[in-house]
Amino acid sequence: METILAFVIGGLFGAGIFMMLRRSIVKFIIGLGLIAHAANLLIFTVAGLTRGEPPLIPPTMTELAEDAPFGDPMPSALILTAIVISFSVLAFAMVLVHRVYQTVGSDDIDDMQSTDT
Amino acid sequence: MSMLLILPIVIPLFTASMSLVFRRSRRVQRWLAVSGSVAMVASGATLLWRVWDDGILAGQAGGWRAPFGITLVADLFSAIMVLTASVVGLLTILYAIGSLDEGRRRFGFYPLTHVLLMGVCGTFLTGDMFNLYVWFEVMLIASFVLLALGGEQPQMEGAIKYVALNLVASVIFLMAVGLLYGVAGTLNMADLSIKLRETSNPGLVTAIAMMFLVSFGIKAAIFPLFFWLPASYHTPPIVVSAIFAGLLTKVGAYSMIRVFTLVFTQDINYTHTIILILAGLTMVTGVLGAVAQYDMRRLLSFHIVSQIGYLLMGLGLFSPLALAGAIFFMVHVILAKTALFLIGGIVWRLRGSYQLRDLGGLYASKPALALLFLVPALSLAGVPPLSGFFAKLALVQAGLEDGEYVIAGVALAVGILTLFSMIKIWNEAFWKDQPEGVDLASDEERGLHEPSATPYLYGPVIAMVVLILALGLGAGPLYEMATVASEQLIDPDGYIRAVMGEE
Amino acid sequence: MPLLLVVLAGFLAAPVAPLLSRFGRQREAGWLLPLVPLAITIYLATLIGNVADGETVTASWDWVPALGVRLAFMVDGLSLTFALLIAGIGALVLLYAGAYMEGDPNTDRLYGWLLVFMGSMLGLVLADNVLTLFVFWELTSISSYLLIGFKHAEDESRDSALKALLITFAGGQAMLAGLILLAMTAGTSQISAINLGGAAIRADDLYLPILLLILAGALTKSAQVPFHFWLPAAMAAPTPVSAYLHSATMVKAGVYLLARLSPALGGTDSWFYLLSIVGALTMVVGAFLAFRQTDLKLILAYSTISVLGSLVMLLGIGTTIAVEAAVVTLVVHSFYKGGLFLVAGAIDHETGTRDIRDLSGLARTMPVVAAIAGLAALSLAGIPPFAGFLGKELLYEAVGESEELGVALTVAAMVAKALLVAVAGLVAILPFAGRPSQAARDAHDPPMRMIVAPGLLAVAGLATGLAPSLLSRPLISPASSSILGEPVSVKLALWHGFGTVLLLSAITVVAGALIYAGRRRMVAAAGTLEPLGTVGPSRIYDHALRGLNWLATTQTRLLQTGFLRHYQIAVLITLVTLVGTTLLWRANTIQLGDFDDLHVIEIGLSAMILIAALTAVLTNSRLGAVAALGIIGYSVALIYTIYGAPDLAMAQFLVETLTVILFVLVFYHLPGLAQLSPRKVVIRDAGIAVACGALVTGLVLAATSEQFSPSISTFFTSKTIEEAHSRNIVNAILTDYRALDSLGEITVLALAGAGVFALLKLRPAGTGSDEPPIASSSAVPSLILQASTRVLLPVLLLFSVFLLFRGHNDPGGGFTGGLVAAAAFALYAIAYDAESARRALRVEPHTLMGAGLLVAVASGLVGVLLGEPFLTAQWLSFDLVGFGHLELSTVLAFDIGIYLVVLGVTLVIILSLAEE
Repeated sequence: METILAFVIGGLFGAGIFMMLRRSIVKFIIGLGLIAHAANLLIFTVAGLTRGEPPLIPPTMTELAEDAPFGDPMPSALILTAIVISFSVLAFAMVLVHRVYQTVGSDDIDDMQSTDT
Repeated sequence: MSMLLILPIVIPLFTASMSLVFRRSRRVQRWLAVSGSVAMVASGATLLWRVWDDGILAGQAGGWRAPFGITLVADLFSAIMVLTASVVGLLTILYAIGSLDEGRRRFGFYPLTHVLLMGVCGTFLTGDMFNLYVWFEVMLIASFVLLALGGEQPQMEGAIKYVALNLVASVIFLMAVGLLYGVAGTLNMADLSIKLRETSNPGLVTAIAMMFLVSFGIKAAIFPLFFWLPASYHTPPIVVSAIFAGLLTKVGAYSMIRVFTLVFTQDINYTHTIILILAGLTMVTGVLGAVAQYDMRRLLSFHIVSQIGYLLMGLGLFSPLALAGAIFFMVHVILAKTALFLIGGIVWRLRGSYQLRDLGGLYASKPALALLFLVPALSLAGVPPLSGFFAKLALVQAGLEDGEYVIAGVALAVGILTLFSMIKIWNEAFWKDQPEGVDLASDEERGLHEPSATPYLYGPVIAMVVLILALGLGAGPLYEMATVASEQLIDPDGYIRAVMGEE
Repeated sequence: MPLLLVVLAGFLAAPVAPLLSRFGRQREAGWLLPLVPLAITIYLATLIGNVADGETVTASWDWVPALGVRLAFMVDGLSLTFALLIAGIGALVLLYAGAYMEGDPNTDRLYGWLLVFMGSMLGLVLADNVLTLFVFWELTSISSYLLIGFKHAEDESRDSALKALLITFAGGQAMLAGLILLAMTAGTSQISAINLGGAAIRADDLYLPILLLILAGALTKSAQVPFHFWLPAAMAAPTPVSAYLHSATMVKAGVYLLARLSPALGGTDSWFYLLSIVGALTMVVGAFLAFRQTDLKLILAYSTISVLGSLVMLLGIGTTIAVEAAVVTLVVHSFYKGGLFLVAGAIDHETGTRDIRDLSGLARTMPVVAAIAGLAALSLAGIPPFAGFLGKELLYEAVGESEELGVALTVAAMVAKALLVAVAGLVAILPFAGRPSQAARDAHDPPMRMIVAPGLLAVAGLATGLAPSLLSRPLISPASSSILGEPVSVKLALWHGFGTVLLLSAITVVAGALIYAGRRRMVAAAGTLEPLGTVGPSRIYDHALRGLNWLATTQTRLLQTGFLRHYQIAVLITLVTLVGTTLLWRANTIQLGDFDDLHVIEIGLSAMILIAALTAVLTNSRLGAVAALGIIGYSVALIYTIYGAPDLAMAQFLVETLTVILFVLVFYHLPGLAQLSPRKVVIRDAGIAVACGALVTGLVLAATSEQFSPSISTFFTSKTIEEAHSRNIVNAILTDYRALDSLGEITVLALAGAGVFALLKLRPAGTGSDEPPIASSSAVPSLILQASTRVLLPVLLLFSVFLLFRGHNDPGGGFTGGLVAAAAFALYAIAYDAESARRALRVEPHTLMGAGLLVAVASGLVGVLLGEPFLTAQWLSFDLVGFGHLELSTVLAFDIGIYLVVLGVTLVIILSLAEE
């Protein structure tokens, strides 16, 4: 499954990059969302996939050996944090895009060159 | 765990939260901002003293031992950076008190700045790769908001470019951290240093290292990843530009140095040669960009890029002398750049424009300001006996000693061009007369109706100039500190032992 | 200590004049300040005795020892000679300047920078450490720049100053590299030690590069061909500056350096040929160009260049006689040239012009000045019994004696000297003889201070000529000894008997007189060489500057195109190149994993994700894109569920929902998607995208095909129950093990909220939205919805709190709880309007955010109060009647903080957007 997911991740990332290269700021935001998904999936996949065993210790167990059969909880925690952070940033970016559109009057990034030259 | 390790993080967070709660009152916000900054400087100084006396200081947040919890580590390099950042934070906040408009103040400039400082200090003190990502994001989003705060059109346009490229950098960073965890099973930097020494696929590790290079490189604004900087840094109010100039790119450079001396040292010939090449290109393209500018802020923005090249040079050469030079250079360039931006702000206030062609006559009418400008400008160009000279001297010496004549030559040549562009500002803004009939900002915009602001504007500048002079004339003891710091970087065993305990 | 004071005196005295003028006492400065260099001169004079006996006076302090920079000073013959010249002439120039600059309000700045310069120059010649020398070297460049540009409002002054600075600074930078290499090769940066190890240095591989680099500095500073052109331009400076810097002191710094390092670097063929050829060339060219000028200062400037050339040439020859000749010429030149410059200044001051075509008959109106000019000019022409004659004799002796190139050098010397004789005439005869011209008629002798200075210098030229032993024992001998590296005793005498040298001198004078007599025809003839000027170094400099500006502008235009996607492409190409090359070249080959053990649902989900991604790319419908994103998000959440990450899946679901809502709210204001780019661009972008995707795929495949070390998670699994009191390991990681991450995370959240708020509410005047806000009134007015919402709100809130509390042992937690609570209020806003939702909330969302942060930080500090690290969980467990075993902890408080922040931020964003 890792292999298939590798291609999924690559596909998501590529799609996201393609969108970010477009001239419309709306497509740009969508691209951001796509590559964020790719990154999260990447962390998840690369850390090792174990099917079905959530890292929740049933009330019956009171002691655990180190090699207890749970999935790796770390990537979950990392991705959770990353999701929240990405969401925050994405939210801000979306509102920024909205304000940019209001100020510049166009959704075409090519019209936003005045600060460069 | 010593309180000193988390104070640089907790103090600004506390200050920012309280500022958020008391956002109606201008006086309370100002008072909070200043006292918070002063507290940060005090804790930073204490931390530096402690690390200088007792060696590398490490502590585990949450009480869980390394590598399972998040480690906070202060070696000399980190401590120096924390103190420098706190000082710059304090001085720019003082300047902001004198220059900031009410609208931006009401919508959170001071808490934003403190959160920015929190993120910056977090990156300096963390010993965990994912935690590094978190602090980067804290810093980043604070900078997004600061950049866009006010909503004027140039800000919006600049913000899009800034946000876009820095978000790409964040995603690359995140992916690299994920890969690193997948490959090494740990996120603690010291632990990584140990684990990555014996890997079955060192090439993959180097590839991941390249990802970090790109990600940090975007944030540090190296060639060919820097184009967002000259497009955005000059759009917000000058005090924001000054904070950015002094701190943000330096965090990227710091992370590169940290990561490429502690974690990714398996393939030095490959990685550090690439870094050295990029250093040279960065220096040259940055300074050429500056030479072409006639807007003071854009000129200084391009210089930020060029100076980062020197830091990279120190990293690429990877010798004790080179790294000591890089550390010294880091402190020097933070002070010099921030000072120059703030002086630019004063010039704008006096003459109403940032366009060099429309300025003039300041040497005759404001000789004190002219002298204040000369010090950081000449220091940046590497004129002795100022701080920049000793920083460059160390780097050039390191280059010549290692037989890297090309980069040493480039470093010197770029210094000439840096001088040339600084003289351009001097000629246009200070020496020549101001031309008639040009488009200037109104007195109202410039805030000239508030004369009480002047000590807040000049005070920080004077302080920074004094520091630059001290750094140059008193370079001996400070350089000694940098040497010890660089030794800690070159040989990570001390760091690892402090973090992981004796093993 | 006194040596340090000698050097620092200039710097310390510099602010005196500006300070005095603050109190209106500028004129007093003109009398006070010359005392400083005078005191230095007197002190230095006391050292003459010791130095003449062969002793040296030293002092040194640490500066940056790790870099080899020691503040080390040494007084030997060479440095003492120079130092006396610097201080002595400095005193005279300051005195002169007091009268010359009378009435100029900026005189205090002139004094200041002159004193800074003097201090720097003294530091330069007294330095015994190559890097300290360099420090002062550059300081002289900077102070010279500020002095040349004294009349800064004039374009010409600024341009000339820049020219001088750029050339000397560039040379200086090259010289720095040379000095560093020299110190490296010699193993020390102390000059006296370096000079002792000369043989080893000359034999080293790096000798030639070192020599060339140091020459770059010396030759640029001393205005040798082809770097000479900055010096005439520097005549834009006020005359005292020209007299002091650009004839007597600063331009000699290069010569000083060459002299100082002779024991280490001199004596080789490279040294000889390079210096003697460049020097001789400069000597001739300088004299020639001097002869063609009409401005007094320019004549003097070019003749200075010529003499500097002869000095370099002599040092190149390097024999004992040559060195003696050099030292004598050095001193003598300072006397007469300084004097002549000050005379030129006096003429300018009195008549208003310096053009020799407009001046004549000044002997009538300015007799004293005329006399002084005559004395000095006779020394310049090398007529006995003036000291200049001494120098010339020694010069001829040295070139005649030279083994290689002897004839060529002698001819060159004779040509140059002859021309200089003619020049002397131009300077001292033309303006003064004959009947007074228009300009000369109203002139009179200048004030006393402007006479004393040049007068003393001119008389010195005569006195030392008549009694050469005044110079030879105290100065020339020790100086020559320093240069040669071995003690010599110099005997100077006016009369050496009849010999070739005397004959050559005579020929020179006669030739010079003839040239002077036929000057009009000669100048006209020389005019035919005018076109050579177009390829002169000055033009090259101008072209170079223009080329630099062109290069800079072009590069900026190419790189900063203004198109965001260009920048992105640069980044992406760098990424793919660096990472991809490394991966392919140095990593193990990438293996595709095995394809067994696949479930249909997983393949289905993967396919759905890819199809949705493709849809998002291709669609032109905003809602379609958003829907596609939503599908991707939910599918990913399902994948998380399958692979045992329920907390994560829940969070992903909720966040995806929120994101979709957010998109809808924002897209309300934005235009539709359109296909804007032309076909070629799309293909290019697609190619880049495919490359990036492939790279990422490759990385994932490489990383999953091997796991190196066991992950640290095993620790968490085993510790969680007893030490973390938790059964939900993920939550334990978030709120306990890695609580610092979560603290940062909620900070980011809070900032995003504050940022959105600021973006929407703080605008420049007049940029509001023209459209009505989404939620000004209820978007979906429906009694049913409103009624059910009134019921749902408390229920959802309770549920959210339940999620919060159960999170530590089962899926849930502060984050999910907060999101649910936020969803509740969002629903309220949809049913009613944003205003009502705010009122229902009772507290401002901002306050929730701030409070949440404070609670989280406070929970971390509790442990600190108990002496433990920040964010250490503290537990309090007790049994409560009726409820059983309860555990209170700071972890819960932390989670509450997260809850509050999430609630606050989500509401800020949604409500602010709704009110747009």
